[in-house]
Amino acid sequence: MRKFFPVEELARDGRFNQITMKDRMADPRTVLGKDGVRPSSNRLVPSRPDASTAARVLMHGIFVGEIQALEGAGRTCHDFRTAGDQARRAQDAAAGDDSGADAVPFALKLDMARQAWDEARHVEISVKLSDWMGGEIGEIAENTVLQAACSTDPVLRLAGVNRALEGLAIDVFTTMKEFGDLAGDPFLEFCEDWMLADEVTHVKMGSDWLRKVTENDPERRKKALEFQGIVDKLFSYGGTRSDSEESPIGLARRFRELAGFTDSEVEDIAEVSLAALNERKDAVARLQAEAASQFAGR
Amino acid sequence: MTITVTPQTFSYVSFDADLIGRVAQSLVGALGLEDHPVSIEVDETTPLARSSVALSDDMGVVDNISIRVESGAFEDTRRPRQQSENATATTLGRVLLRARDRLLGGFGEAPPDDELSLAQMAAWETYCVGRLVRLGIEVNQQRWRYNFRNRHGFSDAADAAFDRIWAGDGLTWGELDEISRAASAT
Amino acid sequence: MADPYKPRAPFAPWDRRELPGSFDVEDSARRVGNYKWAEMKLFEALGGWVATVPELDVKMRLGTHCYKHAWHADLWHKRLPELREMNPDRLTQPANDAMVRFVEAMTEPEAPDQTIEKLVGVYRVFIPRFIAAYTFHKNNTSQITDAPTIRSINFILQDEFDDWRDGEMILQSLIETPDDVERAARHQARLEAIMVEAGGIAGPGSIGMTSTGASANGPQNGSAA
Ligand SMILES: [Fe+2]
Ligand SMILES: [Fe+2]
Repeated sequence: MRKFFPVEELARDGRFNQITMKDRMADPRTVLGKDGVRPSSNRLVPSRPDASTAARVLMHGIFVGEIQALEGAGRTCHDFRTAGDQARRAQDAAAGDDSGADAVPFALKLDMARQAWDEARHVEISVKLSDWMGGEIGEIAENTVLQAACSTDPVLRLAGVNRALEGLAIDVFTTMKEFGDLAGDPFLEFCEDWMLADEVTHVKMGSDWLRKVTENDPERRKKALEFQGIVDKLFSYGGTRSDSEESPIGLARRFRELAGFTDSEVEDIAEVSLAALNERKDAVARLQAEAASQFAGR
Repeated sequence: MTITVTPQTFSYVSFDADLIGRVAQSLVGALGLEDHPVSIEVDETTPLARSSVALSDDMGVVDNISIRVESGAFEDTRRPRQQSENATATTLGRVLLRARDRLLGGFGEAPPDDELSLAQMAAWETYCVGRLVRLGIEVNQQRWRYNFRNRHGFSDAADAAFDRIWAGDGLTWGELDEISRAASAT
Repeated sequence: MADPYKPRAPFAPWDRRELPGSFDVEDSARRVGNYKWAEMKLFEALGGWVATVPELDVKMRLGTHCYKHAWHADLWHKRLPELREMNPDRLTQPANDAMVRFVEAMTEPEAPDQTIEKLVGVYRVFIPRFIAAYTFHKNNTSQITDAPTIRSINFILQDEFDDWRDGEMILQSLIETPDDVERAARHQARLEAIMVEAGGIAGPGSIGMTSTGASANGPQNGSAA
């Protein structure tokens, strides 16, 4: 088995169709309203006329996100050498890689294995919740967001997967939990609350390990945080998650705090999310103008 | 019967106007709406999936059926921007049945669509989709049950109301509204 | 009312634990180091394979089992210093080169159509060997001096049996044709041969018998006066 595994090869059964973030962004259509008229709120709340559909679609997004989180945590158990594992070191050396740069502490790997179990349970929970909401496995195209987060540097991967991707999960679950609570759905609120507890733990693992591993290497820590910023912006999905009411998913400030984000880190994410929202709006306007001129030229 | 689809060619999505026309035609036939001209206008600039229907008298013809849908309503969600025949049939079937209910009577006192409460809309949609299933269109019942529960509460009473409406035929607006109201009240 | 000051036997009549055991501290530590290394390799492999199997139920099982074996590795990691090995990495070793080759061969399958091979390696070869080595250790170590190891083994064995059953049942559901049977058997035979060479999770003597048929450990019934 290879040490690093290309995201395009994440194995799926025939029900799934994977598309990249690039495909998604190439869609010139927009939910942000046309003719400059913006809906004042897109937040996922039960009072939205399309609430049950929107919640079901988001649940499918959560479901595939959990699969990818499971795969990411699993790969981290495998891809990186455990510090002190001499046999693996010899194997890597035989394969021409003796740098040792990717060695990670044993305890970090244990955390990742624990996360793999949690994510497996999250997939189980999401499948059952999807069923409950009338969803079907694979009914929505799967965004392969993992690509962005899965660096071959363990510290960058922690920043990308555990802080950015799992941080997004905190935001999504908080929105979903509130939705379930308001709608009176007896399972949704219950399950999201449990998953939220796990996700806060996962983000905290990322925050703690990032600090620990880069304790004596401020340069590496800086690089990791920069990487996280890039991934955070990407995971704002062109404005799907931000403080703005125009975004279906809000920023879960309190839970992020519990997970080890500092106030200024939360502010940074709020800022990049909003920037992503605005950039997406500009991009859509551009794509729409292109489509319109193509149409006129026919 | 006349069915018009606009646009005839799509640039934001890969939809087929002929397919939309064919699906509409078979539904119009099955629902006995042949005497009514049907126009279908697709807004392809948005991936949202809303749909609406209006009845109008135009150029001396009474009861034209005008349908407006957003592209998401006809889309194959597995393959973004591609058309799904099933989604097309389900969406058109729902709005055509609402138009038919208003045309054939028994729904005279129903408020205009934009004045329906979310619960009333969910009840009417349930009534439409239940009938679509009996026309042979494949539908995920649980999806509509969840929608109904969101509007009427997660309770046995709401589920019983859903089952009754789903299996119903020949309901009047008064009956439908009463079932919905009673379910919400419990 | 019973007299609380009446002398009682330190070992109740129903407590038949004995002092003698097959392993001294060093033996025990060496074995525990082998266990830890092997459990590590197992959880790393299971984690890595999650992304490579298309079957959703298998994906979720592998993720779940990945954690359990990581936890086993952690139990052994924590046991090592208690066995006078203050640098646990020193004893975190494969039993021998053949064991390294076994893990290499077991983790070779990567393609999405090789789920049977992946599962056969783990559930029909590796885990049965864990069950064997742990059972031997549990039944042969001193029930009193090595009680902490026995306690860990009891927890771990419960997991191993549960996971073995999960994996075996998934395999039975995946193996549908004579060709599949042949594939599974061929791969199992290939891995089993390397495992035989390795002698088990803790090397020759993993279950007491060496290939010559002699017991790998010393006298088991020495009197412990
Ligand atoms: Fe998760
Ligand atoms: Fe997570």
